[in-house]
Amino acid sequence: MDHIEILGSVELLEGITPAELQTISLICKEISYNNGDVITLQGESGEDLYIVLDGFVEVLHSGTTPEQSPRTIVHLGKGQIFGEMALVDHGPRSATVRAASDPTKVLVIHCDDFEQECEKNHHLGYVVMRNIAADLSFKLRHRHFADR
Amino acid sequence: MPSIYKVSYVVPGEDHPGAILNSGTPPHKGDVISLGSSDFEVIEVFDLVPPRGDFHYLHATLVRTSEKP
Repeated sequence: MDHIEILGSVELLEGITPAELQTISLICKEISYNNGDVITLQGESGEDLYIVLDGFVEVLHSGTTPEQSPRTIVHLGKGQIFGEMALVDHGPRSATVRAASDPTKVLVIHCDDFEQECEKNHHLGYVVMRNIAADLSFKLRHRHFADR
Repeated sequence: MPSIYKVSYVVPGEDHPGAILNSGTPPHKGDVISLGSSDFEVIEVFDLVPPRGDFHYLHATLVRTSEKP
């Protein structure tokens, strides 16, 4: 399966045109991780957005004091995005994400490259930002049920 | 394009954090799914939000059935 076909089934890009999909595919690169590899680290600066292609990643959040050990808050599987908050607010990573399967394959998009494409093409920018908002909303709803 | 089902899986009353993943088919009550080292039975499925485009958004409640060695 090539990247265009994969990207066509990712919610982040739902609603964009085939030409826009082609543009995005040119700024993606595929990376494979082993189980336990750290992909992003809470508190560090983040410049990439990730899409899970295969396997699972584990999202861990550390408490506010050093005594509180990191807690797994969700597993994300095929088609899910993480690191998207860096694209929205340019803040530090809000959680640590590590590979939870062997292998874990992800597509990586550098946020600057993505932002440039969104600035050049406002339809693309609108659709991507709407889809990021929908994804964050879905994750919040998931948390509400997980915390019941 | 065929439908894609984005599913929020939650295991109430356990430490397991649940999962979110896309699938080409929707989960059904009675299905057994694997998340990490454990198997779970689906006991409830409902639409979390209305579908948009090719995407359907579901929530599934799970109970643990087994721990893999």
